[in-house]
Amino acid sequence: MTSRQAEIEQMIARMAMGDRQALSALYAATSAKLFAIAVRVLEDRTEAEDALQDIYVKIWHNADRYQVNGLSPMTWLITIARNHAIDRLRARRRARPAPLDEAAELADLSPSPEEQAAAASMRSRIEDCLRRLQPEKADAVRRAYLRGETYEDLARRYGIPLNTIRTWLRRSLLKLRECLGP
Amino acid sequence: MTRWTEEEEEDHALAAEYVLGLLSPEESRAFEARLAVDPEFRALVAVWTEDIAAMAAALPEETPPPRIEAAIRRRLFPEEGQGWLRRLGLLPALIGGFVAALIVLWTTDLGLLQAPPEPLYAASVAAEDGSLVILAHFDPRSGELRLHRQAGTPSPGRSQELWLIAGEAPPVSLGLVPESEESLLTVPEGLRAAMAGGLLAITDEPPGGSPSGTPSGAPIAVGSLTAG
Repeated sequence: MTSRQAEIEQMIARMAMGDRQALSALYAATSAKLFAIAVRVLEDRTEAEDALQDIYVKIWHNADRYQVNGLSPMTWLITIARNHAIDRLRARRRARPAPLDEAAELADLSPSPEEQAAAASMRSRIEDCLRRLQPEKADAVRRAYLRGETYEDLARRYGIPLNTIRTWLRRSLLKLRECLGP
Repeated sequence: MTRWTEEEEEDHALAAEYVLGLLSPEESRAFEARLAVDPEFRALVAVWTEDIAAMAAALPEETPPPRIEAAIRRRLFPEEGQGWLRRLGLLPALIGGFVAALIVLWTTDLGLLQAPPEPLYAASVAAEDGSLVILAHFDPRSGELRLHRQAGTPSPGRSQELWLIAGEAPPVSLGLVPESEESLLTVPEGLRAAMAGGLLAITDEPPGGSPSGTPSGAPIAVGSLTAG
């Protein structure tokens, strides 16, 4: 574990003891990362700002559960942020269902050059491995994770029958795992 | 894909689908039931969670506007923002006039200034098994905190640090507890008011005290300060 991870772990541990200063420290260290996730998922800054509040309220209340879940501290925080943003996105879609072929939905989800640079600097294995998949399969993985798209959404998007798309994506996920290693 | 059995492939695919949120609600429930009883499966899911989260970790950072942090603190700790200005804003509505409110505030303030001599406070800071007992006497006027070690000494090569825990505030260090039987600490002026009714706690720390400024572990002895 890197020293930064150890620091974040300590902040979470202190938050679990009710240390409010630790919350400020954790916010300073992680909010730009978690806000980026909320913005990316929700594609709406105002809503991402509300989501970010909820995310830190959740982190504060669940800090005492961190130790037992076995994830690295950043992954734990990212998962809380991503799941909350996806829940909001799904609620928004239910509230005003928009056809999936709307212009916004066709936004290209492949990483921008800026994102690619950031990814490269982090030597992100996942991005390397996604690049080895067929582009639309990598795109489907990103859409599921960062846009909360379901098999139904993906089947419609790629014009593939529902039963086929699951086989199609599962095969890609296994390839991804082979590339990522154990 | 020859290195996996069909079962292993199925597990990997399921774990990935779960992490990506692709399972139906019924499938998710069945998945979570298995997760609860199958540690190997749990480890597999943790690996997928780490790898997939890296996708989000690779996004370029975006700094949220400063007001967001303030909003979070207001939601979590509403009492933090209740300063005089806020009370001045609320009281007039309660008693029907701004001037009346000011008078009430003034007299309350004066009343506080002319309070009768404050009592002395005492605490018995003790471990549950009695292996460490330290009596503490606090004089709020001088800020003197007298410690009387009745049982227990620090472990060899370790220090014992004394903390004040007042309400919801994070623990504040009052210093190291000297090894001697009798000792005297001075509580900084800014902390004296918080001592009354506060909780004193002792933690086991590296020599010289906690390097982080917050307790390294759970207290080994606690006791609350009450008026004696």
